[in-house]
Amino acid sequence: MTRKRERLEVIKDVLESVRANRKIKPTRLLYASNLSPQMFKEYINELIEKEFIKLEIDDDKKSAKQEKRFFVLTKKGFEFLQEYKIIEGFVQNFGL
Amino acid sequence: MIELLLENKELIKILYALAIMFICAFIVLKTDRLFQLSLHKGIRYFRNAFFFYGVGFFIRYILSPYLPNYFFIFSLFEFFLVTAGFFLLYSLLWKNFEDPNKKSVSSLFNPKIFIFYLMSAVIVLLDYFWQTYYFLFLSQIIIFVIVGAISYSKYLQDKVKHKFMKQYSFAMVLSLSAWVLNALASLWFSWNSLVIIIVYLLNVIIFLLFLYGVLKFTRQR
Repeated sequence: MTRKRERLEVIKDVLESVRANRKIKPTRLLYASNLSPQMFKEYINELIEKEFIKLEIDDDKKSAKQEKRFFVLTKKGFEFLQEYKIIEGFVQNFGL
Repeated sequence: MIELLLENKELIKILYALAIMFICAFIVLKTDRLFQLSLHKGIRYFRNAFFFYGVGFFIRYILSPYLPNYFFIFSLFEFFLVTAGFFLLYSLLWKNFEDPNKKSVSSLFNPKIFIFYLMSAVIVLLDYFWQTYYFLFLSQIIIFVIVGAISYSKYLQDKVKHKFMKQYSFAMVLSLSAWVLNALASLWFSWNSLVIIIVYLLNVIIFLLFLYGVLKFTRQR
């Protein structure tokens, strides 16, 4: 049986998917995150609210139909990924 | 040396309080970024514990000359101290009572935490009405036996064997010793100054151990 990921781990996985792709479409991120659509929505809203990721709209496309939306990592999101190991180490060493 | 310490008891008391307050403030501030980034509930409860210890020591040793009633000051100090102990205990246990994936609104004002406030208030009132410190000592001895046992069992179950978990358990054994010694000082040694200085020293070592852990695990790699 696989272990249920904790909140912090899910956030790290989502952010890593965004970083690995530089910019990623919402649907692709949903698949990559391995979350249910409902949970995905909750996490994405939280990450946008915390300014870890932002939604960018590609204006180059000529018609609105072709308009594409992408998630990109922000500076804060990048900092989180860099400090994730520290947070993880702290939590585990203090048994929190 | 010991005579010099005993002669300057009041100064030692102030230095002791300042050291503890400084360490608590440092722990709270140093873990702020980790908490802001992660919103991890365990980190939050851990920080609350040191925040309450810091406030308690501030009231007892710094604010007390400016407040009129000794029992009122001591009751406040006791309340913060006992609640801090509960927060430390809960920082190890919160996953058994809360969903780690759910965001909490507040770590200071929620129904579960009100149980701690209520228990602390009961302990304070019992001591106040009996004009003793026994309930404080008893509660702290029980809390640190439990925290020590939990931290050590977490260390034993930890496959990676994170180093600080062992030190954490050691700090809890020291805490327990300090409270037992404090109780003995009250019951049998009529607040013997030397015993009290040993308690101060033990407490400073315990807080320094936590500070060391926080510094070690919040350092940028």
